[in-house]
Amino acid sequence: MTADLVGARRWIRRGQILTALGLLGLALVYVLALRYTSVERFQGLPQKIFYVHVPAAWSALLSFSLVGITSILYLWLRDPRLDRFADSCAAVGLVFSMVMLTTGPLWARPVWNTWWTWDARLTFTLILFFLFLGYRALRGAIQDPGERARFSAVLGILGMVLVPFVHLTVYLFRTLHPQPIVLKPSAPSLPGDMLRTLLISVGVYTILLIGFVVMRYGVAARESLETSDAG
Amino acid sequence: MLEFLRVALNVAWKDLRVEHRSKTALVSAIAFAALVLVIFNFARDAAAVSREMLAPSVLWITFSFSGVIALNRSFALERENAALDGLLLAPVSRSALFLGKYLANLAFVFTVEAVTLPLFVLFFGVDLSGVLAGIVLTAILATTGFVAVGTVFAAMTVRTRFAELMLPLLVLPFLLPPVIGAVQVTARLLSGRPVSEIAGWLRILAFYDLVFVTLCLLLFPALMDE
Amino acid sequence: MQVDPSANAGYLTAAYIVTALILGGYALVLFRRGRRR
Repeated sequence: MTADLVGARRWIRRGQILTALGLLGLALVYVLALRYTSVERFQGLPQKIFYVHVPAAWSALLSFSLVGITSILYLWLRDPRLDRFADSCAAVGLVFSMVMLTTGPLWARPVWNTWWTWDARLTFTLILFFLFLGYRALRGAIQDPGERARFSAVLGILGMVLVPFVHLTVYLFRTLHPQPIVLKPSAPSLPGDMLRTLLISVGVYTILLIGFVVMRYGVAARESLETSDAG
Repeated sequence: MLEFLRVALNVAWKDLRVEHRSKTALVSAIAFAALVLVIFNFARDAAAVSREMLAPSVLWITFSFSGVIALNRSFALERENAALDGLLLAPVSRSALFLGKYLANLAFVFTVEAVTLPLFVLFFGVDLSGVLAGIVLTAILATTGFVAVGTVFAAMTVRTRFAELMLPLLVLPFLLPPVIGAVQVTARLLSGRPVSEIAGWLRILAFYDLVFVTLCLLLFPALMDE
Repeated sequence: MQVDPSANAGYLTAAYIVTALILGGYALVLFRRGRRR
């Protein structure tokens, strides 16, 4: 028992260090993006939201994939640690998708003159958000740990399979309804310094993701030990 | 295999017979559908928005909302009578159980849709001649998919506290591909587009059904484990 | 259509602040949960 507690604490500590590093990195990215990266010609300053928005999308999607994969593994192996990991990834993914949902419209408004548009990316963001939210809600509503783990795993797998369908559907919808040409700064021909800042930001966000998940995992592990000791 | 089907049909038949006796859920779903149709008709600014433009969306909003209502009642009966545990004690395949529930739900939602469609024609004055078969096919394809996922979520949420809220929340993202596809096809059918344009959407719908019905059949047993 | 580069700085500021609040805030929440005995 004590060994497990030590293990949990160790995870928390590692997570804390990684997160602290990540936050420092984020500050660095801010400085880089705001001062040392060129301003995009057509969109102006708001284009820089790109550097906090796109990596959030990357992190949210990564979290989501991890939930899906760990869900399959859980149903196969029934190891509660897998469930704990899936839960952590889902919680963290929700946070990143909130960043997406707030920065997305803030970027859209000055550039496209509308807060929202049903393009493939924003719609996708919304769906991801609802899937994460649903996962949390489901977990919150079930008391029995075994049942909670199994049900969440089913949801995780169904959600993971759904995502390509949503993307395909919205994409097909868009191509059949030609939209006015919108400048996409994520095109491959991204100027050198912009690409550099983006990649650094993605790296920082990934560190934050890992830090968050590890901390959350450690806390959940410790909490489950405490309840089993008390019970 | 035969045993599997027999069990499934038994479960489905039992479900439908119970519903037939009380009829409350069916009546509420249909009344709800009628209400939606009436409201949309009055909410529309006749000069700005033509009925033809609005029709496909309204039809599918009605179908999907009624579908969710139907799904809510799916396991409600078991919950009230703790009959689910009894069912699970029986040495039957969990997948057969799912199939039975799924078929019953399908029958239920199809019934609601079958009653709603004439109402829709009546209130919206759309001309379905020539495209009726297409509309029916689309309805079957789209409904088959989301009812499968909805049945799984209904089983999950039945014992939770806010089941009537949880079910729509969970199901919503899964409704998108079938409903978007169905609206697209319906819109094209109603404006007389050639079938070639529609084929792609129908294929997506069919593919969605194949993937999700299979997945739900495979995953449902995990929900019922002890 | 060219946009005056200094226009719309408000959106940029808002986005960066919101992001920092969300990510920093969540980090804080986790740190406190980690510390709590």
